[in-house]
Amino acid sequence: MTRVLVLVPFALDESAIANRRQQTAEVALRPGVVFDYRPVTAGPTAFMSPHDWALMDIALFEAGLSAQDDGYEAVVIDTVSDSGADALRSVLDIPVLAPGRASLLFALSLGRKFGILAQWEPALARYRKVLDEWGLRFHCAAVEHFDTPPDFAALLGSKAEETLPKMEAACRRLIDAGADVICLGSTTMHQAHQYLTERLDVPIVNPGPLSYKLIESFLALGISHSRRAYPRPLVPKPEMIHTMLAAVRDESGSL
Amino acid sequence: MRRVLVLVPFPMTPEQLDLRRAQADAAELPPDLELDYRPVLAAPSSYVSHHDYVLADVSLFEAGLDAQADGYDAVCIDTVSDSGVAALRSMLDIPVIAAGRSMFLTALMLGRKFGILTMWENWFPLYERTLKDLVLTDRCAGMRAAGVNPDNRNLLGGKEEEVLPLLYEAAARLVEEDGADVVCLGSTTMHEAHSYLAERLAVPVLNGGPLSYQMAEAMTALDLTHSRRAYPRPMVAKPELIKAMMLAAAGAEQSS
Repeated sequence: MTRVLVLVPFALDESAIANRRQQTAEVALRPGVVFDYRPVTAGPTAFMSPHDWALMDIALFEAGLSAQDDGYEAVVIDTVSDSGADALRSVLDIPVLAPGRASLLFALSLGRKFGILAQWEPALARYRKVLDEWGLRFHCAAVEHFDTPPDFAALLGSKAEETLPKMEAACRRLIDAGADVICLGSTTMHQAHQYLTERLDVPIVNPGPLSYKLIESFLALGISHSRRAYPRPLVPKPEMIHTMLAAVRDESGSL
Repeated sequence: MRRVLVLVPFPMTPEQLDLRRAQADAAELPPDLELDYRPVLAAPSSYVSHHDYVLADVSLFEAGLDAQADGYDAVCIDTVSDSGVAALRSMLDIPVIAAGRSMFLTALMLGRKFGILTMWENWFPLYERTLKDLVLTDRCAGMRAAGVNPDNRNLLGGKEEEVLPLLYEAAARLVEEDGADVVCLGSTTMHEAHSYLAERLAVPVLNGGPLSYQMAEAMTALDLTHSRRAYPRPMVAKPELIKAMMLAAAGAEQSS
């Protein structure tokens, strides 16, 4: 049995985790691979400012720090922001799948330019940042949003009827801008994947399920991140990091 | 059962085809995925000149043209050159996996820069073509060759002792001198060297053939395929013409 740890970037309760877990039902997974979902201990309330990004990094870092010792063979970050992934790679030898980077790179195996579907205007800054960091700005036709505040727990929830057409319209703007593949800009959009795929004539990359398939591939091939790209710290401080998050455990109800 | 057609870029004897087939052993594929290997009807002698590139494109294009009609769920091209991929994508709705570009893109999921390790320098222009097409030239730390004439049909057959240390030496320079975080094997014919190199190098070593099978598995499971907008259909498809050309090529090879 191969166990994969999926790190959920908000301190969610079990019903909200179930919404995240739905992603595994959207793709045929291999027998013998089990995905366990683990939310962070505490974290930011939203995800639109460098304040939030910093908190998200440390929260996900802490949540995955013991993954290898806990017997997991791989880690998947359940956010396209890839928060915490670089730090986790510096201390873990098991593969750590960063769905943001992976979905944009994978999109380039399907078409020439991708478009990114963002949730709302405040999310745009984050995508601009990652496109620069990863050197993929040339490959991005456009980033468009559908002007709807995210709900990290309920996801689309009861607003699907109102939100889905807005998502479709934003995708059409991406296509008009030259995107021949569309990347959903958040794993929280997975419930819209089928609706959009049925209506649009370009491939829609669903980052959560894609990350599960890629991690299966990495495990089958025995590959992981490069230690040269993610060097170990001279002095790892796992206890300090765990203590930091334990100290704010009671703050986690802010969602 | 999902069926994947693997297109082999040279005509082969059954024994030579088995050497290509051995790549599947390194892939740990799920039991519901079946690989069929199909060699082209005729081919250039090697892939070292633009003369060869044109023939490579047409030969692989023809070999995969019927894949969808034959009931396959995906096509893999058993060459890092990605020859024939774009043309096949323009005609097929099933995913066509390009071993080269899939490997370079995957390398960037594992590190900042990748290096390309190959048998001889004559293959460098093939990688340059793909990197330019992908606009990822700046992510390639370097290319290094073992300086050994490749054997596309018998692969390393009997020359392991001589070739493997040369490949290792070139790979080590990619890492130490060029700054590669990840090493990509520049040919699917080098798969026999993968475990030797992976055991000795401190960076991930990507093996294009087995990786392409994994990508075929992922794409069929996710129901994803290439974008029709990136690979538009021809106004007038000419499959019969393409087949007739390759049959004529095979006849010409036999009679010479």
